[in-house]
Amino acid sequence: MRRSTRGWHMSEVRAAAAAALPGQRVPEMLGPRFLPGGAFVRRLGRRGTLIAGGGMLAAILLASVFAAQITPYDPIAQNLRNTLQPPGLAHPFGTDNFGRDVFSRVLHAARTDIQIGFFCVLFPWLLGSLLGAVAGYLGGLVDTVVMRTVDTFMAFPFLIMAIGVIAVLGPGVTSMYVALTLSGWSMYARIVRAEVLVARRSDYVLAARAMGYSDARIVLRHILPNVVTPTIIFAVTSMVLVILATVTLSFLGLGLPPPTPTWGTMIAEGRNFIFTAWWMVTLPGLAIVVTGLALSLLGDGVADLLRGESSR
Amino acid sequence: MSALLEVRNLTTRIQTRRGVLTIVDDVSFSLEEGECFGLVGESGSGKSMICRSILRLPPTSPALMSGRIAFEGQDLLALPDREMTRLCGRRIAMVVQDAIAALNPVLPVGRQIAEAMLEHGVAANRRDARARVLALMRKVGIPAPERRIDDYPHEFSGGMCQRVVIAAALACAPRLLLADEPTTALDVTIQDQILKLLGELQQEMRLAVLLVTHDMGVVAQSCRRVAVMYAGRIVELAETAALFDQPLHPYSAGLLSCVPSVDGAAEEATRLRPIPGGPPDIADPPEGCRFHPRCPLAIGACQSGAFPLFEVRPGRFTACIRHEELARAGNIWAEPMPAARAPEAAEAAE
Amino acid sequence: MSAAATLIEVEQLSKVYAPAGAFLKRLTGGARQRLTAVDDVSLSIRAGEILSLVGESGSGKTTLGRALLRLVEPSAGRILFRGEDLRSFAPSRMRAARRHLQMIFQDPYSALNPRMTVRQTLAEAMRVHAIHPAEEIDDRVVELLETVGLNAGQADRFPRDFSGGQRQRIGIARALSVRPAFIVADEPVSAVDVSIQAQILNLLLDLRERFDLTMLFIAHDLSVVRYVSTRVGVMYLGRIVELAPRQAIFAAPRHPYTQGLLRAAPRPDPGRRSTTVAITGEPPSALDPPSGCHFRTRCPMATALCAEARPALAEIAPDHLVACHHHAAAMAAWTGAAAPHH
Repeated sequence: MRRSTRGWHMSEVRAAAAAALPGQRVPEMLGPRFLPGGAFVRRLGRRGTLIAGGGMLAAILLASVFAAQITPYDPIAQNLRNTLQPPGLAHPFGTDNFGRDVFSRVLHAARTDIQIGFFCVLFPWLLGSLLGAVAGYLGGLVDTVVMRTVDTFMAFPFLIMAIGVIAVLGPGVTSMYVALTLSGWSMYARIVRAEVLVARRSDYVLAARAMGYSDARIVLRHILPNVVTPTIIFAVTSMVLVILATVTLSFLGLGLPPPTPTWGTMIAEGRNFIFTAWWMVTLPGLAIVVTGLALSLLGDGVADLLRGESSR
Repeated sequence: MSALLEVRNLTTRIQTRRGVLTIVDDVSFSLEEGECFGLVGESGSGKSMICRSILRLPPTSPALMSGRIAFEGQDLLALPDREMTRLCGRRIAMVVQDAIAALNPVLPVGRQIAEAMLEHGVAANRRDARARVLALMRKVGIPAPERRIDDYPHEFSGGMCQRVVIAAALACAPRLLLADEPTTALDVTIQDQILKLLGELQQEMRLAVLLVTHDMGVVAQSCRRVAVMYAGRIVELAETAALFDQPLHPYSAGLLSCVPSVDGAAEEATRLRPIPGGPPDIADPPEGCRFHPRCPLAIGACQSGAFPLFEVRPGRFTACIRHEELARAGNIWAEPMPAARAPEAAEAAE
Repeated sequence: MSAAATLIEVEQLSKVYAPAGAFLKRLTGGARQRLTAVDDVSLSIRAGEILSLVGESGSGKTTLGRALLRLVEPSAGRILFRGEDLRSFAPSRMRAARRHLQMIFQDPYSALNPRMTVRQTLAEAMRVHAIHPAEEIDDRVVELLETVGLNAGQADRFPRDFSGGQRQRIGIARALSVRPAFIVADEPVSAVDVSIQAQILNLLLDLRERFDLTMLFIAHDLSVVRYVSTRVGVMYLGRIVELAPRQAIFAAPRHPYTQGLLRAAPRPDPGRRSTTVAITGEPPSALDPPSGCHFRTRCPMATALCAEARPALAEIAPDHLVACHHHAAAMAAWTGAAAPHH
């Protein structure tokens, strides 16, 4: 075949080879096999998780932002004459023991939970990355001090730390942020430090030193952009876990005080009614699952994308 | 004498993200018994893939191989997998560039050398194998083999590891050794030792060697015949002495003249004339002769059509339609005398 | 003697490493472990010349190149640049001085920041050292790219869009962007193909002309060294064993190691094949080198003297320094035997 074969798939080449060498044995394919369906399916598969996850998350976000437009009910308005209604036309998710519309509460809770999830990934990411970079680049005493601090924080069981923080600061959004940031930053520090230790030895960092750049410039401008990829992958995939953590805290009563709806508090409130009003527990739980799935898919898709890009 | 290895119209394609790449394009050559044959080319020329194709080693991407590879008369591409594994290591062996990476770091070298012997039934049992391993280690020049037979690869230097890998390759007395850049990663004095060792072993064991390299000097010192590869094709095939004396392809001529030499009168300041441009993109190579965009002798006819190897004289093959002009023109790559160079520091002393 | 001024004077430079775990080994009674990568090296680099350092792996040539620029901190010695000792500079002064002392790296695939475009890489250097006013920088970047033979239209691409040879050119452009006086080229052509190698070498020679540069060219390939050098220094296990002008080294080497290197280099000449090995044996361990002359374990001329006394690097002919007790015998053996050249 003298023509350019850019963009061809092997099955096409094999067919062309068979046509070009009539009567001869059609060559065997070696190596890993691909799924049937050809090139299109494969290309779709690569981006599939990203699209699916991103799409789901976008839908959830949109629903939570436009909650007021989607459902006419106020999430905290009680209607004691309409308690424990099963899902129906008027209330798609039913009502809870105070007569509040569950669907509306689920949507409003989405706002709160996802927001907390986002910031409780952002702050640890910022704090951990910076500390890890400094530790990895400077080495020596700074490195030892930071890393032993990391070890200390990692040794703390998460719930104990959360309870401690909330006991000191009182329940509320701020204490959630503080508790989750304190428990989350250490992993980022470890990841970034490991990457920085490697990057520090690379030729382009040596070249930056040879150029006479200051240490601060080298760390911020040269090293960090190159080590941030694994942290992004970790961050997106850990958003699920952070949301689960907030749900756990809320369930244990350490979260936002009522009547603010969060999925965790809704499940907590509904646990006494599991057998009589299953929709109070199950439907928020379903919302958690769907969001978790969306974030997982998104995380996988982002990971594939970033890893694919970083390979030359 | 029929050839030990005869490759006819070998084409190897692999599937990558960018589509199908033709790494080896319609390559044909043959190897006699006991001969050292060189395959020389730069990166992307396809020379390493030929070794892997001969052994049908599974690559990381799906690969398609067509053509015929006849070893001792049998077509390797038509063999069932089980027969092929019996050949690998026993009749055909391979030595690669990074010797330390080729060895298993958690097994002692003695065991690794013996593995092929035991697997292929050349050694009767462990004790027999051990004795043979010691003899082999001595043959490849590892000092004090009794002490080193149970050492691990990390305890050996690069050159010694390469000797271990050679010993493992020769364990079953193969008839063909595929050497894929065996000395590229080694220091020049160690390279010298290893190449001389290969030469001795070749003589002693009637071993045919397919030596893949990018270094024209290595080819000149070790190979009786050589094939020059460019962008997946062989562009010239000849006896080494004849090729160095008068290359019949502009690329071969270019390779020879862009390599500085250690010898020669020290005062001469002939400027190296490098080959302009760079190697082509394998996914989208130029039409016609793949070298024509960089060739000083290129004419309109070079830009389309097929350029297979053809025999100019017995034993001399080239793919260039203008080889006669090339032979007449002398050195097409030489620049007329010294481009300005700064004065030597010590010349003033005289 | 050449009248050229000395740009850089290296005095008794050493770099010693204590390998990992050394402390523990000492505690458990092992011998003191030290790796002397650069062993008391002195040399001067003259303005406008290309001094090559040749050696095999473990010779210390790369470490010496980096120690010279204080990219690796020397353990001892002085580095005089235009008369001042670089080791005495405070960090901020050293950073400012770096614009005069640049480096080109071996591996074009790791020498450039993959997240910065070519333009950003080149412009940053100019901005940090305030070489040009801000408005001019873009023009200077274009100029630089053209100087090294690259298409200026590609300035906004990332390194991954370029081939190895092109990346090496970008690295050279980066070194040039600050208008240095001195460049250490650390094996700049070892990682590129042969046909690109010649292009890069010619480029370096042209740039040296044009910008009046002085270079320390580190390499392991003697043929490349012969093409570009003014003077050549040969290193073995951290020491310089021979230092002479190019012609002298290649026509009349006086150290057995230099002679061995020359004999071992494979020549593109099938008519001249040899079956004898140039140098036998393996390089000794850098942790525990032989006493006296390090090369004695592989040297055909070694005697008892070589084990007792370290040979000093002495001038045995005008501008030709050798560190060998038996250099006269080596010389005789070279000219007497069928030398591979002429």
